[in-house]
Amino acid sequence: MTADMIYLRLKQKIRVRPGAHLTIGDIAQLIGEDEICRKLETTIIHRIRKEDKNLVVIDVMKVIRAIQRTNSLEVQIIGPTQTIIEVQISKKKLAPVYFVFIWLLLFIGAALAIMNFHEDVSMREVHQQIYKIVTGIDNPKPLLLQIPYSFGLGIGMILFFNHLFKKRFNEEPSPLEVEMFNYQQDLDRYVIVHENEDNGKNE
Amino acid sequence: MNAQIILVMIIGFAEGIAVGAGLVAFLSVLGIIPRLTQITKTRHLIKFYEWAIIVGAVTASWLSLRNPILGLPKILMVPVGLLAGIFIGMLAAALTEVLNVLPILTKRIGFIDKILLLLMAIVLGKIFGSLFHWTVFVDGGF
Repeated sequence: MTADMIYLRLKQKIRVRPGAHLTIGDIAQLIGEDEICRKLETTIIHRIRKEDKNLVVIDVMKVIRAIQRTNSLEVQIIGPTQTIIEVQISKKKLAPVYFVFIWLLLFIGAALAIMNFHEDVSMREVHQQIYKIVTGIDNPKPLLLQIPYSFGLGIGMILFFNHLFKKRFNEEPSPLEVEMFNYQQDLDRYVIVHENEDNGKNE
Repeated sequence: MNAQIILVMIIGFAEGIAVGAGLVAFLSVLGIIPRLTQITKTRHLIKFYEWAIIVGAVTASWLSLRNPILGLPKILMVPVGLLAGIFIGMLAAALTEVLNVLPILTKRIGFIDKILLLLMAIVLGKIFGSLFHWTVFVDGGF
């Protein structure tokens, strides 16, 4: 009989409640002899404590140690080498007043930014010149050009973010969704390095 | 005399190459054209979009340098203004500041589900700011 071997694949990220008892089955997929896998999957690997706050990283080394404490198995690792555990502490909802404040902040900020941009690139002169070239009339306030321009500004932004309709144009993600995803990935990478006890950073 | 003319022509040509390359580089970085092809599913027509940019840039540079009078009807300003606005709107949306700020803002304060509303704040702010600029601000205030 050949030496027993199991394949182990950690999950990238899981969400649990405070005080949960995590088993190996919770954080990983196992392939191997059925009986051994069943036993291992119910082995507790970590208990969420208060001091854990809301993020815990479990390194694959810790899982292997736990497995080999009771069995002499060869463990073959596939995929991520650590799992991020997000403890879902029920956060108190922010008051709507904050939301209104941020909304106004963005509104005024966006308005100021576009005015600065117009002044910066001499948009007024350009509009006057376009008006002059096309119609032959000198108009210091070419509103016939500028009001459609202003609404076009909003349409263009909505088009870019793909939020014109609730329904998407197609399956592909919008730039904002990609950016949100990238940001989350960056956060996860940071957490893996800084919250991982097996990395020696905390010692 | 001839040498001077040739020198000026070389300088002008070199400037044109630098500015033209810069414009295309800028548009490439922002990724507006890929976004438009993605929305409309017309990736195979991208060659024509490239030419639209080139023809537009060359025409506009000629018009702005020579200032001819075309004498066309005023109503033409409406579609021109609208399209110019949509383009600048996409440009403003594509600037990485907006794209970088929103994820952080929504995650920090837990407004993930309200990101659409925050986006609308920016969009409406831009429209309001622009209208305010052209109707009130240019006259020197109230």
